[in-house]
Amino acid sequence: MSSQTLIRVIAAREFMTRIRTRVFAISTVLVLIGIGAYILLQAYVFNQSTTTSLDVGFVGTAQSISAPVRAEAAGAGVTITVHPYTSLAAGKADVQSGVLSALVSGSGAGTTVFVQTTVDPTLQTVLNDQTRQQVLTEYLTQHGLAPSDLLGQLNFSVGINELSPVNAGRIEQIVIGLLVAGTLYVTLLAYGQFVAAGVIEEKSNRIVEILLATVRPWQLMLGKITGIGLVALVQVVLVAGVALVLASATKLVSIPTLSVDVVISGMVWFVLGYLMYSLLFAAAGSMVSRQEEVSSVALPVIGVLVAAWILAITVAAPDPGGTGTTVLSFIPMLSPVIMPVRIAAGVAPFWEVAISVVLVIATIAGLAALAGRIYRNSVLRVGGRVKWSDALGIAPSGKPVA
Amino acid sequence: MLELSHLTKRYGALEALHDLSFNVTPGEIFGFVGANGAGKTTTMRVVLGVLEADSGSVIWDGSPITFETRRRIGYIPEDRGLYPKMTVIAQLVYFGQLHGLNRKAAREASTTLLERLGLADRAKSQLQSLSHGNQQRVQLAAALVFSPDLLVLDEPFAGLDPVAVDAMTEIVRAEADAGKPVVLSSHQLDIVERVCDRVGIINHGQMVALGTVTELTDRGPLRFWVDAPSAAAGWYDHVAGTSLVEQDGSRWLLQLDDGADEQAVLRTALATGPVHEFRRDRPALTQLFRDVMSGKAVDE
Repeated sequence: MSSQTLIRVIAAREFMTRIRTRVFAISTVLVLIGIGAYILLQAYVFNQSTTTSLDVGFVGTAQSISAPVRAEAAGAGVTITVHPYTSLAAGKADVQSGVLSALVSGSGAGTTVFVQTTVDPTLQTVLNDQTRQQVLTEYLTQHGLAPSDLLGQLNFSVGINELSPVNAGRIEQIVIGLLVAGTLYVTLLAYGQFVAAGVIEEKSNRIVEILLATVRPWQLMLGKITGIGLVALVQVVLVAGVALVLASATKLVSIPTLSVDVVISGMVWFVLGYLMYSLLFAAAGSMVSRQEEVSSVALPVIGVLVAAWILAITVAAPDPGGTGTTVLSFIPMLSPVIMPVRIAAGVAPFWEVAISVVLVIATIAGLAALAGRIYRNSVLRVGGRVKWSDALGIAPSGKPVA
Repeated sequence: MLELSHLTKRYGALEALHDLSFNVTPGEIFGFVGANGAGKTTTMRVVLGVLEADSGSVIWDGSPITFETRRRIGYIPEDRGLYPKMTVIAQLVYFGQLHGLNRKAAREASTTLLERLGLADRAKSQLQSLSHGNQQRVQLAAALVFSPDLLVLDEPFAGLDPVAVDAMTEIVRAEADAGKPVVLSSHQLDIVERVCDRVGIINHGQMVALGTVTELTDRGPLRFWVDAPSAAAGWYDHVAGTSLVEQDGSRWLLQLDDGADEQAVLRTALATGPVHEFRRDRPALTQLFRDVMSGKAVDE
């Protein structure tokens, strides 16, 4: 019977039993709800912040500037509803009671605004503009000049030339980079620990004894890693797909910015990172006999992963193009979390990505040999935690155990 | 035929197996008996290749056992070796597939076995919802699903009620009758005595007694129960080489030295009046086992 067939049978069992579990369904739904809620909230907040509407009262002579004030305010993104008043007292009472945001009285230099506490800054600017224009128009008319000529000449803005323009997409890119890296980090951490728990389950149930009478240790380990990895991939694809659809539907992130290469490279880094970490988690799991003991052996692996994520937030995200980030992205155990940040920011040349992929693949090969050895030597040793010398097969008592 | 020859295995200072040898022929149920830690499980793990012996060899049908031939062994480990949350049928199909059956064949074999074991209605239940006895039946089914050439059963009867034991032994007997060698270990010596064709007693990694149940129990001293109600004390005194072991009312347990004539004992008993019982006393395997463990040698 070929290894491929055996590994496929083992992986299929892992996949089928896990994808049907309540844990998988609930965690997927929760993540989807979380992402959905986040995206909808973001979209809501963005849409809200751009529009303000004010109810403004104009008393007596002030009514002459209500139309131009409303027009200029609309241009600045503030909607003004005009309420004409004949009595100043009635208007002030409505400001007090909150019916009006502001009450404008008088004309020209004598124009006054009544507000409860503070005046809306846009309204203030617009009123200043319009009253000054009113004064200017009167002055020009008194001296026999046509106001429209001068006002026409004054209708210009200062030209602005940005010498160091802020890239509008930069924040978005960092957010996307962190999203990809964060998803990878959480998934690697969760599914890596599933691998360790799965190995311990078989060990504590002694199923491993029956299995290893039939299959080789490395086939069992690889089958388990493959099966659990496929479950993880299904979840990642599902979550990423829903997030993309929702994000583009609410126009929060446009699909071109979250470009296809970011998504695809994210998948590739997930597969590479998963292989690297799941091998270590499998080896760690094989060294203990009870689920409660897993933290004692898995902690160093978890530590490296957490460190990668912390470096992604503190070093890579603020400065994706910096030397520090570049160096970190080449360290194989960190690459799967750091490199996606650089790729999303568009500062990772293809050849650099290629080199780090090669380094990671070489690491996987080395870890496969190491994890295979530890697993083979440990998985049948029941009792306390397996000693490192035994796990590595360098026990002083002599030759490696089968 | 399965041959274990001169197996030795050390765990650091502890010698788990010391020059252990025995054979199991096709159609034979070999009972492996010993105290906890005597080396039974270690021996079975060596046969399964789950553990490697320091020296010695395991021969199957004339050549050293290989990984491929080991895959033809049906194995029940000492503790439960099944997935608690998997259904019974999925579990059996999985083990069938691991032993080389395709999905369809594995499913057919599993269904047939479950019917034979009276578990057809539990096929879709999670293993953990079954009683201990039924779980053990599933364990046996997992060992049989791929039609193995040899059975190695470590404590298959542990914790089973008499009915479940009968059901298990019936199936194991049927497998042996089909020409398969069967090795099983057990603490329940009455079951071993009843079920096994041959027995090996292991102590501290060494085989201390080996043979059929009759052969082993014959090795003890020659003793007879005589029920002679009219006999007076010392009635046997003038039969040479006879001594009293114990007396229970009118029943006398006499031990005969080598060369003593049991027919002479019977004639003497008859001379005293009626004789209601004259029976060879064979120690139960349990007694023999205790003797072996306490160091009373039962030599080869």
